[in-house]
Amino acid sequence: MSTDPSQKAAGPVLEVRDLEVHYGPRRRRRRALHGVSLSVAPGETVGIIGETGSGKSTLARAALGLVRASAGSIVIGGEDVSAYGHRSWRALRRRGVIQYVFQDPLRSLDPDLTIEASLAEPLLIQGVSRQEAATRVRAFLSRVRLSDDLLDRLPGELSGGQRQRVAVARALVTEPRLVILDEPVSALDSANRVQILQILKELRADGVALVFISHDLGSVAGVADRIAVLYRGELVEAGTARDVISEPRHPYTRLLVRSAPTLHSAPADRAEREALRALLHA
Amino acid sequence: MATLSEKVLTEAEKDSRTEAEETGNTEHVHPADASAPVLSVRDVRISDQAAGHEIVHGVSFTLTPGKAVGIVGESGSGKTLTCRAALGILPAHFEVTGGSIELDGNDISALTPARWTALRGATISAVFQDPASYLNPSIRVGAQIAEVVRVKKGLKRREAHRRAIELLRAVHLRDPELVYGQYTYELSGGMLQRVLIAAAIAADPRILIADEATTALDVTVQAEILDLLADLRERTGLALVLVSHDLAVVAQLCDEVLVMRQGEVVEQGPTREVLHHPRHEYTRLLIAEHEQYGLDKFLAVEAAKAAAAVEEDA
Amino acid sequence: MVRRVLSLTSGRIALVILTVIALLAVLGPLIAPDNPLATSSDTLADASGAHWLGTDYLGRDVLSRLLDGSRVSVLGSLEVALTALGVGAIPGILSVYFGRVFEWITLRLTDTLVALPFLLFAVAVVALLGNGITQAMLVTGVLVSPLFYRVARAATLAVARSPYVEAALISGASIGWVVRRHVWVKVLPPIAVALAQTIGVGLVIVSSLTFLGIGVQPPAPTWGGLLASDLGYLTQKPWAPLVPALLIMVTVWACNILADAIRDVSGEAGRALVNSRKARANRLADTDSDAHTDAAHVHAGGA
Repeated sequence: MSTDPSQKAAGPVLEVRDLEVHYGPRRRRRRALHGVSLSVAPGETVGIIGETGSGKSTLARAALGLVRASAGSIVIGGEDVSAYGHRSWRALRRRGVIQYVFQDPLRSLDPDLTIEASLAEPLLIQGVSRQEAATRVRAFLSRVRLSDDLLDRLPGELSGGQRQRVAVARALVTEPRLVILDEPVSALDSANRVQILQILKELRADGVALVFISHDLGSVAGVADRIAVLYRGELVEAGTARDVISEPRHPYTRLLVRSAPTLHSAPADRAEREALRALLHA
Repeated sequence: MATLSEKVLTEAEKDSRTEAEETGNTEHVHPADASAPVLSVRDVRISDQAAGHEIVHGVSFTLTPGKAVGIVGESGSGKTLTCRAALGILPAHFEVTGGSIELDGNDISALTPARWTALRGATISAVFQDPASYLNPSIRVGAQIAEVVRVKKGLKRREAHRRAIELLRAVHLRDPELVYGQYTYELSGGMLQRVLIAAAIAADPRILIADEATTALDVTVQAEILDLLADLRERTGLALVLVSHDLAVVAQLCDEVLVMRQGEVVEQGPTREVLHHPRHEYTRLLIAEHEQYGLDKFLAVEAAKAAAAVEEDA
Repeated sequence: MVRRVLSLTSGRIALVILTVIALLAVLGPLIAPDNPLATSSDTLADASGAHWLGTDYLGRDVLSRLLDGSRVSVLGSLEVALTALGVGAIPGILSVYFGRVFEWITLRLTDTLVALPFLLFAVAVVALLGNGITQAMLVTGVLVSPLFYRVARAATLAVARSPYVEAALISGASIGWVVRRHVWVKVLPPIAVALAQTIGVGLVIVSSLTFLGIGVQPPAPTWGGLLASDLGYLTQKPWAPLVPALLIMVTVWACNILADAIRDVSGEAGRALVNSRKARANRLADTDSDAHTDAAHVHAGGA
């Protein structure tokens, strides 16, 4: 999907090294992330798993420039953005290199804008003409399995699954090289979940790098090439999806694997979960 | 579902049976009529009287003590309405227009409001998706449980306090005394759901309905709550109705599964049967979601390996 | 927006009335039949062919005074409203975006304005800037601006941290873009309501200031001034205050229903109005998700 093939070969789309993020005023500073390193290659899908408060959303927000890192470096498409100010960030974002899909598809679309206006917005911000934006939006719809007649509706008139597909489409119209998705399927039921995951798989085939954030190993298992597990602000495990799921090393990862709802759950898992919880709380 | 090993399941079943025998014999609350159904739902139909059409087209299941029934379906499939009908709290202008619901031997259509009040909490109880909205944020959570105990069991203030702490311990909260004195904003979602379960079982109900009770929680916390429900079921013979949009959640805990779609039960049977021989296309979709995109993609292989190992050992 | 307002009966009525008032303001002084300042010996006369609405206590033609006063009255209240909008609403919206220092300073300034005694401030400013309707209206506008500041700020705060605004920022939008595209539509309805109220208040304030000799000087007519002078002669001409009072009331009323119409057709409420029929159909499908009530009922057994 990248316009310049030479860029594609130029190494990781996102590289985070020893990232450190703190929150709160000086005296009550709380560490949200500690020494996190991660790299995402073009066309690769990386799952970031963690519980509420593990820092997974902070990591995403830091990579998008919405949160300031207190130490470490972030490199996006070869550009070190660690020291970027507002202006440089805006210039970078305007090029549409990096995009984000929010968890809640209802609140992430402006209720007063038609679907067409929402979809065209990132293009208009880039300075694309209205006409061209409209053509590109229309051309894009089929990729997310939406029909033209949704364009003049408002988000409130769409189903949850349709809204999430619109949100995915909005992140993709600028043809980004990296898309970060925050729990994109958590709010959806099975049929819509499968559909979104299918769309994401197709994107990967197009060479878009995806970072898939979730609290549930199960929801990223089917699409992620690699999985990184965040626990209390630190990266405790990283590896290929198969390794992390079949041979988890950290107790928290083991608990994640045993906790994810599967069709193969056995009562023995319960005892194991109990033991792992005791271990983690000790 | 050919990949799913029969062997593993039978092994698992044996495990659960011994486990139940070990832990379950200590305090059965209703040992007398263990086989008589506590809830029987027969061909229940629910209609929206304002719009004039039927929404739930015939749901049937029976629940005996210690049994768990799961209802799976997408939003709008009528699973919640069915539960609300059993609790007698259908929304305005929704009515049961066919079939019958029997609660511990009482046909609910004949119940007076006073009888309902007596039955709710003491016979049937429920927990829902968003725990925080069911607790008063300006009252300590312990006092809210104690209130239920005082009203439903007629206990004095001091005994109610003691009982509330016992209940908080029974739902595996680590420091029940501390939690008793806390407010909702001081507790996490998982802890709040435990508090609500404690309140729901305060009057020793025989049936607990958990309607998407774990949907909004992290998976690790969801597993904790599901384990807690399994534990309560084994220890006290509590019968469960588990409602979820995720087949795996229901399969983990339930003996019987109902798959609902657009008000219709499209598949019903013992959990193992439904997982192994799904007949309806929608059930297959639910299973495929896990096999193609879920952990099962990796674990199925692992489970098969484990089964092979067990076979070799034997 | 205008088209949607016009689709409501109340919106149409309001716009028709306000158009008439605007015409009065523009043409009033030109079509006045008599000199509004010319006195005569025929004081407190009843309505007649010569004086359609009678004469006042100095024998001046009431209809001419009403028509001539329209321009000053309407312009005055508009000035109040626009000043308040500029001084209040714009900093209110920007206070959310322009950082903490700007936020703190504007918040303290509005607190100060709320605390200032109205008359003292009015007299002080008039002493500084000279006496005149514009100065008086500016003072009034500044003094009611905290209302606009608060309303605009509250509405903006609700939008500012919403995911769709963040999505726009992530796409590289500037603050100006976000305000124009996302914030303005949500802030407009509450501001429109406040604006309509303020226009009404403005009409009344023009007259109350006239009492004190601030703003409009006595011989020059305004609606409020007419009302005030007529009230002094109730025993001789009990119906006289009716006409200026009606004019003020109708204007204020039209402003208010216009504000209501704007609120009804914009934002969430507007969608509700447009989709009320659709929502009814969809409600059936949504009942599954609204399992919110009655749980306490279940737990406490109706305790």
